[in-house]
Amino acid sequence: MRCCDYTIQLIIATNIKNKKLANQFNRSFVALRYTIHYCCTSSIQRMTHQSSTLLRRLEISVAEAEKRTGKNTVNMQETFTVYLIETRPIDAITDGHNPAPDSLWRRYSEFELLRNYLLVTYPFIVVPPLPEKRAEFVWHKLSADNLDPDFVERRRVGLENFLLRVASHSVLSNDKILYHFLTEEHEWKEVVYETGFQAKADSRIKALSATFRVKNPDKRFTEMRHYSDELQSITSQLLRVRARVADRLYGVYKVHGNYGRVFSEWSAIEKEMGDGLQSAGHHMDAYAASVDDILEEEEHYADQLKEYLFYAEALRAVCRKHELIQYELETASSDLVSKKHQREELATGMVRTFSFKGMTNKLFGQEAPEQREARLGLLEEQIVEGEETVKEKTSECQEYVKDAWVDIQRFKEQKDRDLREALVSYAVMQISMCKKGIQVWTNAKECFQKM
Amino acid sequence: MSTVTPKSLASSGQKPIQEICHPLGAEEAASAGVLTPSPDVGNTTSSIGEKDLSLPNGTPVETSSPASSSSLLNRLQLDDDLDGETRDLFVTVDDPRKHVSTMETYITYRVATKTTRVEFDLPEYSVRRRYQDFDWLRSRLEDSQPTHLIPPLPEKFVMKGVVDRFSEEFVETRRKALDKFLKRVADHPVLSFNEHLNAFLSAKDLNKRQGLALLTKMGESVKYVTGGYKLRARPMEFAAMGDYLDMFTQKLGTIDRIAQRIIKEQSEYLVELREYAPVYTTWAASEAALQEPLEGVAGCLASCSGALDELTEDMSEDFLPVLREYVLYVESMKSVLKKRDNVQAEYEAKLEAVAFRKEERTTAAAVPTDVEKCQDRVECFNADLKADWDRWQNNKRQDFRQLLTGMADHNIHYYEKCLAAWESVMPLLQDPQSPEARSDSEKD
Repeated sequence: MRCCDYTIQLIIATNIKNKKLANQFNRSFVALRYTIHYCCTSSIQRMTHQSSTLLRRLEISVAEAEKRTGKNTVNMQETFTVYLIETRPIDAITDGHNPAPDSLWRRYSEFELLRNYLLVTYPFIVVPPLPEKRAEFVWHKLSADNLDPDFVERRRVGLENFLLRVASHSVLSNDKILYHFLTEEHEWKEVVYETGFQAKADSRIKALSATFRVKNPDKRFTEMRHYSDELQSITSQLLRVRARVADRLYGVYKVHGNYGRVFSEWSAIEKEMGDGLQSAGHHMDAYAASVDDILEEEEHYADQLKEYLFYAEALRAVCRKHELIQYELETASSDLVSKKHQREELATGMVRTFSFKGMTNKLFGQEAPEQREARLGLLEEQIVEGEETVKEKTSECQEYVKDAWVDIQRFKEQKDRDLREALVSYAVMQISMCKKGIQVWTNAKECFQKM
Repeated sequence: MSTVTPKSLASSGQKPIQEICHPLGAEEAASAGVLTPSPDVGNTTSSIGEKDLSLPNGTPVETSSPASSSSLLNRLQLDDDLDGETRDLFVTVDDPRKHVSTMETYITYRVATKTTRVEFDLPEYSVRRRYQDFDWLRSRLEDSQPTHLIPPLPEKFVMKGVVDRFSEEFVETRRKALDKFLKRVADHPVLSFNEHLNAFLSAKDLNKRQGLALLTKMGESVKYVTGGYKLRARPMEFAAMGDYLDMFTQKLGTIDRIAQRIIKEQSEYLVELREYAPVYTTWAASEAALQEPLEGVAGCLASCSGALDELTEDMSEDFLPVLREYVLYVESMKSVLKKRDNVQAEYEAKLEAVAFRKEERTTAAAVPTDVEKCQDRVECFNADLKADWDRWQNNKRQDFRQLLTGMADHNIHYYEKCLAAWESVMPLLQDPQSPEARSDSEKD
């Protein structure tokens, strides 16, 4: 059985279980479509078949969303949404049983916390992004409200996608905090904070925004950083223009609805022409109404683009981290070199480079031999430390380059596959839209010909 | 009664039944189930000369038997497809050319005629006319055939700064409208025999004829302009016509607005599409494996933009002008209705006057011929108008069927072009190595 079969089973099972309103049922079907889309494009398949990842052993889904109210940190009432994470061990299912999944509720901020933890703990990994915090690139009919049911639904799907990507990553999937996040509802936050990642998180943010000059970065990483900037800029532009295109398309379709009304009115004053006009009018109404579904499907394409817009940021962070480490290495190295020079000067008395000590010596006379000995000793210590540091930094740098490059390659392949599939599904949508258009106008034409 | 009697009707040779309009029109006869029996027709033969129900060769039409009346009906309603065999006058307006002189610049059109009618000296004519000439023809027709509905001309005045009078689109739109105008006149059983039309189609130099015509025909037009009589009540059937025209005009206006709005929305959509495609091209430049698919999408969107451009152009050129022409048509029809009202008003007023005076007379004198003449005029006008109304309704149905079918066709072609573009880019997008592509093509 393929992964998508499980997920479908799960969603349908959830559906039958809950006795909520009809539109929740419909929402699940939207999700079903989305998931089929996603699944049958086999990225999930691929993810599942990655060796020894969590997803192989555990079935994960974000099945539902619910509104809750509670008091926030400043003791004010707030409304927020929680998402139901369901998990089932895969071997339990393959045995032919259908056990109920374990589940817990999490809100968006907890997902954010998880991701921040992963970013800090695995800086060499291009960490999968979360769905957007606020609705952006919105065209006029789409709501920018975070509590809007369509937004919540799309976010639910995006959160599930995030979890699936993380759980299928060869490195990230082994993380204990991740496992804890998926399986134990209470006190997870405390556990995360106990790891002390918060401190690293703060310094990470600072480092990422700092400006510094690296003398010898790995060229591949520099190129990747340029690429990530371009990807970010281009996907952002594409999303903006696409939203405007969607807006305009909506307008074109909806105005045709007016034909429906006027043909109906006109048919009332005609004899022979009446029937043809009236039925053509109905087709015009159908045409106008069809744009809602068309554009809802297109939002899926926008979501796929958005994922890579945010992925670009993650890629950039990995490249910047390399630069930072390289910079630290270079700083440590040049520090060491200058300390060695100082030692040489002291030892030989030769002034190689201008130094303050050299100047003061000239002005106020040489220092006493004991002082020199003391300083030399200190320098020796510092040089030994420095050499250790340089050794550490060098290996850190090498390891980082190695690990990060592996993940960047993985990311590149994933990106090429995913975006290609996104383009294919976009083309499929366009083809379907054209076929529907031909159908409607052909029907209308038949009615006109009967006039 | 009217000064215009196409005396040629009887001698024009075999005329198909289609071109003889029954005074009551196909519709009413349909509801009556049978055509009005001949006696009525016989009474008014002298006044409805041109509506003689007997075939040109003298054979009376059997109006009493249902079989023949229904077949007559059928053929009257088959106005739609006048095949070449039954028509004997063909006209075309084409070949616009620009003329530049010191005084002015203007466009002339070739008017080509092919006919077997004996009213024409030659079987073929080819003359050049300008808009002014068409305008002259129309006013001549209006004056000389006041009881008939004259088809409209495209609008005369064009704001010089706003529209380019010499642009290809404008000239072509106008040519189509002029061609339609002339064809409608040539298809009319009465108007097509008008001497002015004859002159228009055949005369080498129309200006001279125009001058002459003006002088001799000046007096006529006065007759049908209001003689100051006010109609008390429009008979029901004509009132119904008036009501219909009012509502129809309203619908036309709404459709025109909707069509314009759609064109506007489509143009704005086009603007965004034109910005959308190049972004894919830019993106393709920074990608490797994705370069080909992205460029494919860009090319596809560009094709769709082109198709949309064509759609909006076609709708502007083909759809809107016809709608506007029908608004003018409706105006013409309304004015004919008004003229009819005036004629009836005059008759009623005179009838009243006579009745009034009758009381003063001792002998029951015959109704004065003046009043009789008025009565004839009313009946004539009513008959002509009803016949023209039916013809107009039929033509309207055909014209709108054609117009709306054309609109559907334009949209279908647009979507077909877009579909072809997307289908052709699909193989580019699918990675031929991947199992998905193979399974996708299997799925289809």
